[in-house]
This record gives sequence, structure tokens and C-alpha cells, in this order.
Amino acid sequence: MDQAPAAATADDHGHILVVDDDPQIRLLVARFLQRHGYQVTGAPDGRAMMEALAHSAIDLIVLDVMLPGRSGVELCRDVRATSQVPIVMLTARTEESERISGLEGGADDYVTKPFSPRELLARIRAVLRRSRAAHSSSAAQTSAIITFDGWRMDLRRRELLSPSGTLIDLSTGEFDLLVAFVEHANRVLSREALMQFAKTRTSDDPFDRTIDVQISRLRRKLEADASGGQLIKTIRGAGYLFASKVDHQQGQLA
Amino acid sequence: MTSLAKRLWPDTVASRAILILVAALLAFHLLGYWAYRVGVENLATAGQDRGLAERIVSIKRAIASLPQAPERDRVAHDLSSASLEVHWSKVSLVLGSAPVTERTRAMEARLKELAPELAAESFRVGFADDGALGAGEANAYKHMMLVSVRLDDGSWVNFSSSALGASQHLDWGLTAIMICFAVAIVVVALLLLRWATRPLRDLAVAAERFSLDQVLQPLPETGPVEVRRAARAFNTMRERIRNLVTERMQAMAAVSHDLRTPITRLRLRSEFLEDDATRALIDADLGEMEAMIDSTLDYLRGGTSSEPLRAVDLASVIETIVDEHVDQGHPVSLVGLNSAPVQGRLLSLKRAASNIISNAVKYGQTATVTITEAGDSFAILVEDEGPGIAETDRERVFHPFVRLEESRGRQTGGSGLGLTIALAIARSHDGSIALENRAEGGLRVTLSLPKLERS
Repeated sequence: MDQAPAAATADDHGHILVVDDDPQIRLLVARFLQRHGYQVTGAPDGRAMMEALAHSAIDLIVLDVMLPGRSGVELCRDVRATSQVPIVMLTARTEESERISGLEGGADDYVTKPFSPRELLARIRAVLRRSRAAHSSSAAQTSAIITFDGWRMDLRRRELLSPSGTLIDLSTGEFDLLVAFVEHANRVLSREALMQFAKTRTSDDPFDRTIDVQISRLRRKLEADASGGQLIKTIRGAGYLFASKVDHQQGQLA
Repeated sequence: MTSLAKRLWPDTVASRAILILVAALLAFHLLGYWAYRVGVENLATAGQDRGLAERIVSIKRAIASLPQAPERDRVAHDLSSASLEVHWSKVSLVLGSAPVTERTRAMEARLKELAPELAAESFRVGFADDGALGAGEANAYKHMMLVSVRLDDGSWVNFSSSALGASQHLDWGLTAIMICFAVAIVVVALLLLRWATRPLRDLAVAAERFSLDQVLQPLPETGPVEVRRAARAFNTMRERIRNLVTERMQAMAAVSHDLRTPITRLRLRSEFLEDDATRALIDADLGEMEAMIDSTLDYLRGGTSSEPLRAVDLASVIETIVDEHVDQGHPVSLVGLNSAPVQGRLLSLKRAASNIISNAVKYGQTATVTITEAGDSFAILVEDEGPGIAETDRERVFHPFVRLEESRGRQTGGSGLGLTIALAIARSHDGSIALENRAEGGLRVTLSLPKLERS
């Protein structure tokens, strides 16, 4: 994967708290994020994390689930009890249950260990962007479930259920694209707008997939259910439109 | 002929025991019968001989008491009967050179016992068949026993008796009883022994069904002492094997987990390398290591996972995988059903399908994926244009760490766990994987999974 090192963008600012029991990893992550314009504090365990939260204004927490003492998942819940600070978890790749309980406990996103630093950076940027957008907009973006035409999307777990209750697997890009559609439902969206809204949360994608290809793939997945073919409409010359009544809900999918 | 003998020769414990028991019982049965018959014959013969001797002695005395020759002859005829003919003459019927046999000895002994006054030389016993008579007489006295007794005046009383012996015809009643007993012995032996060896048969059957994957069902420790001990030993051994396997797997998993931290550090450090080319190569190597860890851990979990079972649309999973390959420039195409709901674990299904499709791309250059249904299952067919897999290797490829081509390099090879993991996952979903070579060349892998049942 030949890439130029990711350049610091104007959006890269903020105070990040890195919680990991391995001092080398803390150090290396800190150096990396600092290179990209972030201020970084490290904490080896839950106690240090709480102290840091109490003493400074933290914009995002990178939290390892495999901590000594109180586990990362539990700490995540502890933090959520009093704060909505964005949290990105570091999980083991093969432990799905860890990841799911972490997301349900309130984490905003996750990265599996071993992770590529760019991957972490992309996630951090995506989560910060969402959280800042949520703060600036008036709508309370605390809804976890979005429904449309019998379909259900769980934003926390990044899952889509068809009207018959079947889980439809979406790639990262497809899910982000669908989120963009439902958040701007019933409005004509140009290609450029869609590309901006659905900026992928993975690291700079080397694969140049046009937005059209992405949309046709998303359409095919939605067509798994009879009603799905009607959702994304092509507006010749202007772009696309997501035609459905969209509802936001709290709570979790079944 | 020996192969036929092998087939007929009893192979089970019960049948061998039955054979031995029946053979022994029948042998004893027959021996007893033979001994009985011989005994009866001897008894009958002895009785007859005794009677004969007594008659000979009394007739001899009667004749000896008469003084005159014609009287003697007349009395001899009078005293004859169907079974014993008596003649008086001046010569002995039995030759002096008559051969001595067992019976003649017995008869002589009997006569001496009954009539001690008979001196050894005063009588002769012989059998016509044994050549005791002169040449001209032998035919007339065929099968007869002859006794010649000398009187005081030198004349002889000749007795001839039809050959003695118990009646030779078979006693049918006795034979019938004997056959009934023999049959009864066989039947009872069969029933008893089959019942007695049943615990052993049950043990063998249960042992065959033993599998490390399934829920631990200990063998029942019932039956005779030896069978109980065998069952107990088997249960203990199985427990030990399970523990051994679990320990090894845990050790492997621990090592794999522990490797993640240094790999993460290396990933982070590679970020600070100025040289882009080197960094890219190092990242690729690290990626390889991560993939090996992932596949090893997947294999160790044996297709199980902490994911819950849910209704998953298999078609969407396949579409995602195929799209990724297409994006990387691999020639993969997809046709077939748009929707294929199954009950399963999303990530596991993804892993299984991904392994199969990656294999097709790696070894078969292209992959054509078809989603179809067959009865109450969905079938995912992955067809390639590679060399296919020989019939002899089809079982082996599912074994862990087996790769059909010799190199262990990841570019050309792989860890050898892809199909192993895929099969374990398929099985944990009540599905299966089948391999066959296409007529046009190349391999066809068919992953079958049961359809989701909707109530």
C-alpha cells in the first residue's frame, strides 16, 4: 500500500486521552497523533484515566479493552454515566462479543489490535467530526436506531436489518453512505455532497470507487427485500434521492 | 477357499464363546452317548455269554450222565434250541489249533467260572469266521460261535451259537432325544451368551461414537467387571485427551494473543520511517503476521464463536466479499439469488465464504460465485479455472496446515487453515462443504447451509 504519510488537516485538533497498559504503545500513539496536530495525554489504567478526565478537558478517549483491573468495557460505561466524550475502543480482532458489548456500553467506534496508525487516525477524525457536528446542530443526535420502511439501522453496532428481520451485511463505505442518505432523506443529493457526507472512516482508501459504484452496490443489497428497490432514486442530472419516511429511536435493535 | 473360511469363522466374542461352548457340550454329549451304548452293548454281551455258558455246562452234564451213544445224540438234539444247536460226536468241531481271541478267552473264563470241573484241555472255544474250523465246515457255521466240550470217554459235545452281539439297528428313540438335546444346547447357548456379552458390544458401539467435538457423554460403566473397567479406563483416557487438547489450544491462543502487542508497536514504529518503500514492505510483512495469527486463532476456536446466532442474509455477505475482490482487481463475478436468509453468525459466515473465494482467486486465477437454493438449503458455488484438486487429496485439504503445493510461502501458499476453518464454520451451522473438479477444468467448491426457517 503505497501512500504518502497522512497530512495533518485543519480539522486535526483536540486533546486526546490514550488509555493502554503498554507504555510503548502509549508513547508511540502519542507521538503519532501529536505529529498530526493533537495534544495527547497517556494513562495506564482506569484510575489514571478518571484522574485525567477530572483535571483536563478531553475531546476524545482511545481506550484499550484489555486493561488490568477494571476492563475497558466497564470503564467505558463508567465514563458514559457522566459524560458524552467520544470514545474509540481498541479491541482484539477475534473477540466480537467484546466489541459488541463495548459499542453497547457507549463507545463510539472501535479499532482492532493490531491496528494501523492511519486506521486509528481515520476513526478518530470521523468520530470527532460526528461529535462536533452533533454539538453544532440543534437536533439531538443521540438516537441509536433509525427506521425507514420497515428497515432498521443500528448506528452504534453499525447493523442493518431488513423488514423481515434479516441482518444485511454492508461494507464500511456502504453503511456510511446509507447513513448519509437517511440523515438527508427526501432531499436531492449531488454526487459531491454524498462523497462529503459519506467520507469513509477507514484510512485513505486506495481504491478509487466512484460514488456511482457504491450506490449501485448499496441498491443491490437493499433489493434483498422487495421494498428495497424503491428507496434510492436517481435524479437525472442532479444526483440521488432517498425516498422514505425516516424515524429516529432510542434503544437497541433486537 | 481361505477367504470363505475367514468370512464364516466367527469373529465376535459371543459367537466364539458360543462355538466353544456348543462344541464342548456336543462333544460331551456324543461321548456320553457312545460310552452309554458301548456299556449297554458290553452288558448285553456279558449277559448273553453268561447265559450261554450256563446252558453249555448244564447240557454237557445232562449228556455226560447218559451212558449210551444213541441216547446221547437224541438228548443232544432234544436239548437244541434256535439259538444253540447241540451235537454229540466222537470228534471236536473246533480245531485244536483254533486262534485265541478276546471273546474266546472271555468265554473260556466264563465257562471255567461256572463249571470249575472243566479242565483247561477239556473244552475249546472258537469262531467260525476266525478260522476255527476245518475247511469244509466253515461255510455252514458262518458268523457262529462254537464250543466243543470233551466228555470223560473222549467223545465231544459240540455247541454252535449264532454270532452274538447286541442288536445293531439304531435305537431311533434314543437318537431323536439326542438330537433334541443337541439343538436345545445350541439355542440356549446362543441366547445366554448374547445376553452376557451385550455390555461388551455396547461398549464397543459407544467407543466408536466417541468424538472430541461433541458434548462429553461418558460411557456407561455397566456389565461384568472387565467391561466396567474397560469403560472406566476409556472414560478416563478420553478426559485426558480432551484436557491435553484444550491445554495445547490454550497455549497456542495465548501465544497468538501475546503477539498482538509487539506487532502493534511495530506498526506504530513503521509510521515514523522516512522511507516510504521500506515502510510499505514492513507493513505488508506485519499484515502477513496478523493474518497468520487470525487464522490460527480462528482455527483454534473450531468454528465456534462468541457471536450470537441471528438471521443473516448470506447473499449480502457474499456480495461484500466479491466487491472487495473486484476492487482489488481480482477477476471475481457473482450471479444468482439476491437474498439468502440463513440462521448464523455474521462474522463466521464471512470468514468461511471469504476463505473459499480467496482460495479460488489464489489457486484458480478466477472465481465465479453462484448463489442458488437446493431443497431446504442454500448453496454457494465457487468455481475457478485452476488445476482442481485430485480425488486423493480431497480429504486432506481440510486438515489443518495442509497445503497441496509444497512451498509454505504466503504469496503462493497460505497458512493451510483456510478450508479447515471454513469447514468447521460450515459444520457449526449444520452445513457442509463439498469439493469436485469441474468438467471444464478447475475446482467447484459448494458451501451448503440450511435455509432460515420462518415460523
